[in-house]
Amino acid sequence: MTAALTGDPAVAPAAPPPTALRRALPLLAAPVAFFVAFFAVPMVVVLSSSLMAGGAPSLANYARVLLDQYHWDVLAVTFRIAALTTLAVTLLGYPLAYYLVRVVSSNALRRSCVILLLLPLFTSNIVRSFGWMILLGRNGLVNDTLVGVGLLERPVRFLGTETGIVIGLVYILLPFIVLAVGNALATVDPTLEEASADLGSSPFTTFWTVTFPLCLPGLIAGVIMVFTLAASAYVTPALLSGGKITVFPMLIFQQYSTVFDVHYGGALSITLLVFTLVLVALAGRIGNGGGNRS
Amino acid sequence: MTSLRAATCCAALMAGAAFSQPAAAQTSLTVAWYGGNWGEAFRTCVAEPFTKATGIKVVPEIGTSTVTLAKLQQQKGAPTIDVAWMDGGISELAQAAGVTGAIDPQAVPNLAKVSPEAVYKADGAVFAVGTGYYSLGLTYNTQKVKTPPTSWNDLWKPEFAGAVTIPSPANSSGVPFLLFLNKIWGNPANDLSKTFAKLKTLDTALYFDSSGAASNAYQSGEAIIGAHFSVGAWDLADKGLPIGFVVPKEGVWATDARLHLVKGTPRAAEAARFIDTALTPQAASCLAEKLYLGPSVQGVSVAPDIERKLPWGVGGSVKNLQLFNWADINRDRGAITDAWNRELARQ
Repeated sequence: MTAALTGDPAVAPAAPPPTALRRALPLLAAPVAFFVAFFAVPMVVVLSSSLMAGGAPSLANYARVLLDQYHWDVLAVTFRIAALTTLAVTLLGYPLAYYLVRVVSSNALRRSCVILLLLPLFTSNIVRSFGWMILLGRNGLVNDTLVGVGLLERPVRFLGTETGIVIGLVYILLPFIVLAVGNALATVDPTLEEASADLGSSPFTTFWTVTFPLCLPGLIAGVIMVFTLAASAYVTPALLSGGKITVFPMLIFQQYSTVFDVHYGGALSITLLVFTLVLVALAGRIGNGGGNRS
Repeated sequence: MTSLRAATCCAALMAGAAFSQPAAAQTSLTVAWYGGNWGEAFRTCVAEPFTKATGIKVVPEIGTSTVTLAKLQQQKGAPTIDVAWMDGGISELAQAAGVTGAIDPQAVPNLAKVSPEAVYKADGAVFAVGTGYYSLGLTYNTQKVKTPPTSWNDLWKPEFAGAVTIPSPANSSGVPFLLFLNKIWGNPANDLSKTFAKLKTLDTALYFDSSGAASNAYQSGEAIIGAHFSVGAWDLADKGLPIGFVVPKEGVWATDARLHLVKGTPRAAEAARFIDTALTPQAASCLAEKLYLGPSVQGVSVAPDIERKLPWGVGGSVKNLQLFNWADINRDRGAITDAWNRELARQ
């Protein structure tokens, strides 16, 4: 218990002695400079350009985005794809993480499974999405197999559908949730589960009342990560949609890369950012609620 | 403390690099061009002969036209790029952004040999010169499509349903291709509604964002007929894939890769010499050989097998290409992209 308490950042010494702070400042300088140069400054540039129209400060770009039903429709498609991806990734990733942490007993096997899981991350997103275009095509491996074994009469269309985009995103984002949940599971004290079993709970009850709530923060962190990455993904939806479905990042890309309207593009970017942050804040709230209940 | 020392060290290194730059500048010229087989061809056909003749090293700065334009805008006033290749369309935007300098016909004697269509002027001064044309023609799978198509309307044939591809507005050819179709169908220039209505009835496999995505679709058989760039289509055919490229009876929309002298470059004389090298008949025929670019230099002859692969098709010339006014296209780009999104890019 004491160890857990001192490990908690909330109860860590609140004010370090001034000398320690002075010593930490140069160390902080590099990350702060990096953050300011490559995150804060570009963000301010995007925000300020979104607030300009015709050379004068104006909210016209936001009116153009928010007062148009079309943008709400695209936003709905974007968040529906992100939510479905998150759900599928969770349903696949949670059992996988559980298996890797709790069932696999050999360290060597676990390590090779994690390497296998991470290996695709070393390949460019574009290459992997092109790979899915080939696999999911009309004459691709997936359709050929399904038709070959008699499950389908003729090829199903995956490219240019939301299903195709979700498949591609699930593949790319699966490692994130497995790592987040796996780390949380590995830190759950096994004596707590043993105590629950000693008190007569079935393994199922123990899982739902002890293990699951304890690794919920890890799961929520993974879910937030996956949801934000899926909602902001450009390459995978752009390639797998075949240009027939539009998600918000594609609208933003169009404005910056071919139309060169940085004001409207900026307003689109900030809109997506704000809506994503709101949804993430809601998810964080649910996560905290779960944490308190346990 | 260690990080501080490292930072000082870095700063010193950077300062050193800055001081050593003028010395290096005397013997090198920075030229922006595209990646892949384009960059390779520009290196072989222009940069290497230039270095051989002058002893000046060419440092490539690889990027697409839009990326190059963005770099030039950031470097305005103190450019590090001396010469830049950019496509038609982006070229006009670069001129409007004030990053292109005047190309002096005195300093570039070969400019006189270039066909007048490929010398681009604004306010009386030359701001760009074309180094070769490419077109967006009718491309098809020669195994799946038995009779070669002859018209853009063949894309609507029932046997091609679900296996057609055309560019999306995210591609540089997307908006001009739409205007091209509008023109060949005889629809009014300022009203695209009929063209959109007809495109809605086209059963496509995909709208391609990039030339690479189009090549991928033809290669995998996802698309068996549609539009593709002459450079990309012939590249597939040369790799042994069953791909054919034709110029249909309505013609093709085309554009070109252009050279620009960057405004304010301290190496203007060397840059002009480089542009002059790119406009020699040798360079033009070399680019025709490597990329099947239609020469903009007059009187260039190429081998018969190369000639049939040029952007204007068998027996054609630059007169057969539909070269639109990019200023009009750029003006309407936002509105047309928006209409496309609403009409075609949703289910």
